[in-house]
Amino acid sequence: MNKKKIATVWLGGCSGCHMSLLDIDERILDVAALADIVKSPVVDGKEMPEVDVAIVEGAITSDEHYEEILHIRKQAKILIALGDCAIHNNVTGLRNFFKLQEVFDTSYKESPSNDADGVMPDDPLLLKLNEKVIPLSEVVDVDFFINGCPPDADYIFYVIFEYLNERIPQPGGHKKIQYG
Amino acid sequence: MNIIEININGNAIKADAGQTILEVCRQNDIEILTMCHMDGISDVGACRLCLVQIEGSNKLMPACTTKVMPNMAITTTNERIKKYQKITTELLHAERNHTCAVCVANGHCELQDMTAKLEITHIRYPHLFPDCDMDTSHPWYIMDHNRCIMCTRCVRVCKEVEGAHNWDVMGRGHEVRIISDYHTPWGESETCTSCGKCLHACPVGAIWPKAISQGQLVKNPGMINDLVEKRKMNL
Repeated sequence: MNKKKIATVWLGGCSGCHMSLLDIDERILDVAALADIVKSPVVDGKEMPEVDVAIVEGAITSDEHYEEILHIRKQAKILIALGDCAIHNNVTGLRNFFKLQEVFDTSYKESPSNDADGVMPDDPLLLKLNEKVIPLSEVVDVDFFINGCPPDADYIFYVIFEYLNERIPQPGGHKKIQYG
Repeated sequence: MNIIEININGNAIKADAGQTILEVCRQNDIEILTMCHMDGISDVGACRLCLVQIEGSNKLMPACTTKVMPNMAITTTNERIKKYQKITTELLHAERNHTCAVCVANGHCELQDMTAKLEITHIRYPHLFPDCDMDTSHPWYIMDHNRCIMCTRCVRVCKEVEGAHNWDVMGRGHEVRIISDYHTPWGESETCTSCGKCLHACPVGAIWPKAISQGQLVKNPGMINDLVEKRKMNL
């Protein structure tokens, strides 16, 4: 059997889902036996090549994330939404109740810990935040949802392992698919 | 007692003519999902999770407010009912601002449980992100409208069990809100006795005591029915 390719991507999240991914511990060797991790925040490699499984953490918060998720969908045979932010905004989406300008003002001007003179970041290379944070499934088709904040490491391993062995995983158990 | 015979999921069952479908199902260990129902208080059919199919009617009927009739043939679960239960629960998520990970009721929430039970892995509808108030004026408790699912259990428990009728309902559609007195801050209420029954009746994390933090809200909803039963016995 040819070795498969996996990518893990970190969009608008706290990286806690990737911590849960690392919590699969020594079972990462079982994954490595079947697949190469070709793109991830924890490995080198900038481009997103064609992959068999893409695991995406976090919600879509900006123009850059929007382009990225469309590109990932094109490149990946299977797209897995990892964690509550990717699935229904969760903590990343808490700013949706405010106007974007208020969010910027709070962060860069009015914050008590702000000792600078309230300069807004406006470098053209920076991503542009969208007015509202949206989950992945509002933009692309998602093949599997791994719920939880943080998601369960055993469940993450189960889902990846099933896909790598060309089986379709079953949404498992009450605690595993519970939000939060 | 006027005993009638009805049929639930193909089984002949005897029931009292005054009973609701929900009461009969619970007595016979037939599972019906509910969120706005609470033992000890009246039923209003607000959450629409207890929908059942009755032969001869093309509408699904709420089991909690529909009384049994002689020879009624009831189906409590099928693909159509499950489909509507999923839609209803997903819309509850989309209508207000539910963020389980930071909620006081995380792990003890009936909406969270229901979502997992119905195997809802994601919400298919765009979220409304309404601008909801949070009433922190009461010295001990908080009312957070972001998490309210409008089951009105707090309204009924306050009116029927405590007898205070502090809570009521205002507005229509997605602008509907629970209000204290005549839409005044809870802390200024002339009717609230601060008994805390609404807190135990609330299925989600909308009403909670100020002393607790994320995931610490543990409720005792069974206490409401215990109170009602004890009063009947004149203890």
